[in-house]
Parts: sequence; structure tokens; C-alpha cells
Amino acid sequence: MNQASTHVLLIEDNPGDADLVRLRLVESNPKVAVSCVNRLADGIASLQQNPPSLVLLDLNLPDSHGAETFRKLLDKAPDVPVVILSGQDDQALAIKALQQGAQDYLVKGGVTSAALDRAMRYAIERQAMIRSLEMSRKQQLEFKNQFLSHVSHELRTPLTCIHQYVTILTDGLAGEITGEQRTHLNTILKSVNQLGAMVRDLLEAARAESGKITLDRRCVSIEDVIRLAVTMMQAIAAQKAVGLEVGVEASIPYVLGDPDRILQILINLIDNGIKFTPADGAITVQACRIPTDPDFVCVSVADTGSGIKPEARALIFERLYQDPNAVDNNRKGLGLGLFIAKELVTLHGGRIWVASDGASGSTFSFTLPLYSLPKLLQPVIAHEDQLRSALVLVRLDLRPRTTPPRGNWKEVCQKTRDLLERCVYLDKDLVLPPMTMPGPDQAFFVVASTDMERSAIMLKRIRGQLQKMEELNTSGVFELSVTEIPLPDNSDGTSLYLRVQEIADRVTDMAKDALGTIKPSTTNCSKSYGDQK
Amino acid sequence: MKNAKILIVDDDPDLRQALRLRLRANHFETISAADGYSALAQAYKEHPNLIILDLGLPAGDGFIVLDRLQKDDKLSTIPVIVLTARDAQSTERLVLQSGAAAFFQKPADNAELLSVIRTTLMQAAEGEGLPA
Repeated sequence: MNQASTHVLLIEDNPGDADLVRLRLVESNPKVAVSCVNRLADGIASLQQNPPSLVLLDLNLPDSHGAETFRKLLDKAPDVPVVILSGQDDQALAIKALQQGAQDYLVKGGVTSAALDRAMRYAIERQAMIRSLEMSRKQQLEFKNQFLSHVSHELRTPLTCIHQYVTILTDGLAGEITGEQRTHLNTILKSVNQLGAMVRDLLEAARAESGKITLDRRCVSIEDVIRLAVTMMQAIAAQKAVGLEVGVEASIPYVLGDPDRILQILINLIDNGIKFTPADGAITVQACRIPTDPDFVCVSVADTGSGIKPEARALIFERLYQDPNAVDNNRKGLGLGLFIAKELVTLHGGRIWVASDGASGSTFSFTLPLYSLPKLLQPVIAHEDQLRSALVLVRLDLRPRTTPPRGNWKEVCQKTRDLLERCVYLDKDLVLPPMTMPGPDQAFFVVASTDMERSAIMLKRIRGQLQKMEELNTSGVFELSVTEIPLPDNSDGTSLYLRVQEIADRVTDMAKDALGTIKPSTTNCSKSYGDQK
Repeated sequence: MKNAKILIVDDDPDLRQALRLRLRANHFETISAADGYSALAQAYKEHPNLIILDLGLPAGDGFIVLDRLQKDDKLSTIPVIVLTARDAQSTERLVLQSGAAAFFQKPADNAELLSVIRTTLMQAAEGEGLPA
């Protein structure tokens, strides 16, 4: 038997139409193999088992109607060329399918074998072209990112060399230098540092584009991160005589995000603000709730700079965009800062935008999701619309044995937290997202649906596991404690939602001290079983 | 107290020289190696108090050197600080998991590097003072 060169899958529920199309197909090309099904589900099953060269698709089938039919098919087999078989009265529908990616359509009744053959060949060729274009686009992207990562690595070596020898001179390791020499050397150093920042941005942009950035989500005090960013940027702002102020709304809630990444976004925006603000201007960093969107916090960086023209506003978050109106042309960057900021905000589930009247400054704003403890707690502490009968808060404090901690301390903390996750019941206990800025001292919390008596068993289990963790015990000490979480009174018929919220508030209160610097936990054992290792 | 001896491993002669100047100015004794093989040979022969290790090296890259050091009873106690141009995000974790005491990306801040060298040396000295 001849090996069929073309395999056509015909999805058509009208037997008369199906026979006619099959006949025309074989007339035009005797080598064509046709399989025919009359339901979309059967068509999709056949597609996945034995991918055809082409699908001829009727849009109105017993199990699917209209444009939806094509969408479902496209979803399952995006690479197979599809030609729509349309009735006289639904050509509009067929055209809609073309816009969504179908290759062609034929009106049933008027189909000649020549027209069918032509449509088929064209559809197959065009689809192959699209596929190869898409592949080469992906390859190019991958190549570009590899290239960027290679180049930035190679650039770093000579950069390091310049940095090293300039600092050897400025530190007087090669003899005394004059004041004027020092000034010049500091200028070199400044440029080297700028170059270093550009290399870092290049890599970061490449990484963002290829989806290689991961977030370490924590419960973050946005105020702390803002103050840290402002402290870090204060010197650069002062050099340009630009004021840098903070205005955070009282009792701003915590956000769920990666503190290092949020800091990076803020530094990018503040640095940008400084760049475009003339001397004696000011930059204000603020954080507030958004009345229209209660699940997010809005952070903004406002400057009194030259403003951004409307036509530039749309482009400003694109990579490599440079504002031609930069005040300080010496501090031009690569135009990657805002692109990276946008990628990072998007990764957090927020959005970023800029407002400017085009004359007196601009305000960059971005949103971050709230850390909502009630939302996290609800599925764990409520069961069949009832609150659990008892709840406890387990607290695990980790401290390194030495200052600074040994190299892999961060890793040890991460592993300890993973271990904690494995020690609890996921349906009724919750390990809270870490609540500190990643620092040497760490505190992890578990809300567990159990009473004080039975929690002893759980504590024993966790302690046993922790003691077996060699890396933890060589580089640090841990401390476990448990406290009862008082349940809200249920006699007045308060809704479950409100009671969950009340418990969340209590948990937050109980864990509050761990949000800043962690104090020695011997101070809070009045109501808890202190448990020193 | 005798000056601590630091082995500098980097294939770039200019960077070796810069580091040598910097460390000597801070009263450390230095020896150096330009590739993985001679790094291990120097470590055996000289038994330095600390090793500053680049990753991209001819004749056995930094990870191989780290691995060999870890597996040798005599050398596994020598702390290693990795100083590399490679990307921190993808390398730091791997380096620390392989047994290095610290990770620095080039160009490193000199003051910070010196401070970590000092604390690492102190920790290593304490470790040796303890009974086995």
C-alpha cells in the first residue's frame, strides 16, 4: 500500500457534507488519507493520538458551536493548520476564526476539488512557515540572553581590575597621592561603578525576559523597605542637592513580596528620580492604601523634575528607552532600570504606571498585594463553616552561633522552614510566610488546629526533626515555643469571616515582635511553654 | 601572632597582583596560583590559613578545587572564600553548598572582603582550638 503523504482529519457531523468533502479530497489527490469524526471531542482525541497534516473543521458540531469550536481545537493543537468548512449563512463566523488563527475557510456546497487542494496546500505551507518563524524567534531570544550573560561576565573581569588598582591608589597602598590626583581617581571610580551597575542591569534584564527570576515571598513591612531604600540613596541625592523624603500612611498593612526585590524596584525608581530632578528639587516616597482596590498597597515615588511628555509615557517602561530630556546627561544609563522595575512588579502580581503633567515632575506608582492573614488562615482554621475548637501558635526562633553567621546560614534557614512545612498537617495547620527581613535571626510561625495538650506531641515531632538536622545544629541554635490563641466568643452569632479576621489580628499581635529585630524570646513566656534547647 | 597565610587563586595575573598588594598592606602573608592544579599543589605544600578562589580556572575549575579540598582530610579545614565574576544569582547558592565559607562577586568591596577574611580566619582558629 502507498504511504499516504497527507493525512486530513475531517471534523464534520453532517454525513452528506462529510462524504462530499471526502470525495473531493480523494479526487484532487489520490494519496490523501482522510479520517472523519463527527464530534469535536473525538476530533481532539484523534489529533492527540495521531497528529494530522491538516484539520478540516465544521464549526457547528453536536458538542460545540461557533467560534468556540475553533478556540477549543486551537487550545489543544496550536501547531496543526486548520481550514474551516462553513455553511452559506455563517461566513462571518468563519472570518472570525481566521482572525483567531485558522488558515482558510471554504463554503460548503461550492467546494471544487481544485479549490480544496489549493486551500489545503496553502494552509499546510503557511502553518509550517509560522511555526519555523516562532522557533527562530525563540532561538534568537535564547541566543541573545546567553550572549548578554556571557558578555556581562567577560566585562566584569577588566572592570574588577580597574576597580582594584584605582582603590590601591586611593587607599595609599602605592604611596602618597595629591589632592588633585585623588579627585581624578574618584572620578574614575565613579565611572567604574556606573559601568558595573550597567553590566548588572544587562544581566538582570536578560534574566527577567527569560523568566529566570524567582521571588522569595515574605510578609514585608513596606515602610521598613522604603526607609532602607531612602537611607541607601540619601548620599547620592545629597550630592545633587535633591531632597529625599518619606511619607507613609499610618498603620499601612504588610505586603506579600520579596523584600530584596521590592528594595530593588524602589532604588531603581528613586535613582531615576534623582537623575531627572534638578538641584534643590525633592523626591517623595509614599505608601498608601487604595480605596478602589482593597487587596493592594500603592507605593509611589514623586519627583519635582522635568516631567515626562505624554508620548514618552507609553514608552518609558520599554527596555532601552532613554528620555531625551534627561537633566544630567552624564548619568545616563542603559535604559533598563524601569524595564526591570516593571518586570519585578508584574512578577509580584502588581502593576506600575507613571503620572506626569509634562512640566513639573512625575510620579511613578506601583501596587503590591496585601499580606492578608485572614485569607491564608480561612481554609485552615475553619472546617465545614465552623471554627476549629482550639488553636495554638507555634514559634520557632533561629539564631546563628556566630556573628556574622557562617556562609550557608541563609540556606539553613530555608531548609529549616521546608522541614517545618513537612512536620505539619497542611489541611489544618499553616506555616506563615516568613515575617522578617531576611537577616541572621529568623522566626517562623505555625498556626495549628490543636489544643495546648496535644500540641506537645507536635512540638516533640518538630524538635526531633530539628535535632537531626546537622547543619542547623553546627551553625545555629533554635528555640521552640507554643502559645494558645484565644478564640473569639461565638455566642453573639458573629459571622465566620469576622471571627477568622479576629483570630488573624490576634496572631498578628502575638507575632508582632518578630517583625522588626527579633528580641530574645525569653521575654514572652508568661503564658507560653518556654522550651529552651 | 604570626601573620595568616592566604592562597590567592586567579588566572588573571593583574588581579592576583592587586589582591596581593591589598592583602600584604593588611599584614597578611600571600602565596598564589594561576590554575586549579597548582592551587591544590600549593595548598598541600604550604597549608595556607585561607584560600581566595576564582571559579573560572584552567586545569580544573573552582568547583573541582572546592570538591578536592573538601575530600582531603588535611585540607578540608582550610576555609575558602570564592571571588568570581560569575553571576551571584546562579552561583552563590551552589558555591556555599559546595563548602565555601563565603561568596563575593567581582568587583568586591575591599573593606567588606577584608572584614569577611578576618572573621573567617577567626572562626577557623576557634574551630581548631576546640577538642575534636
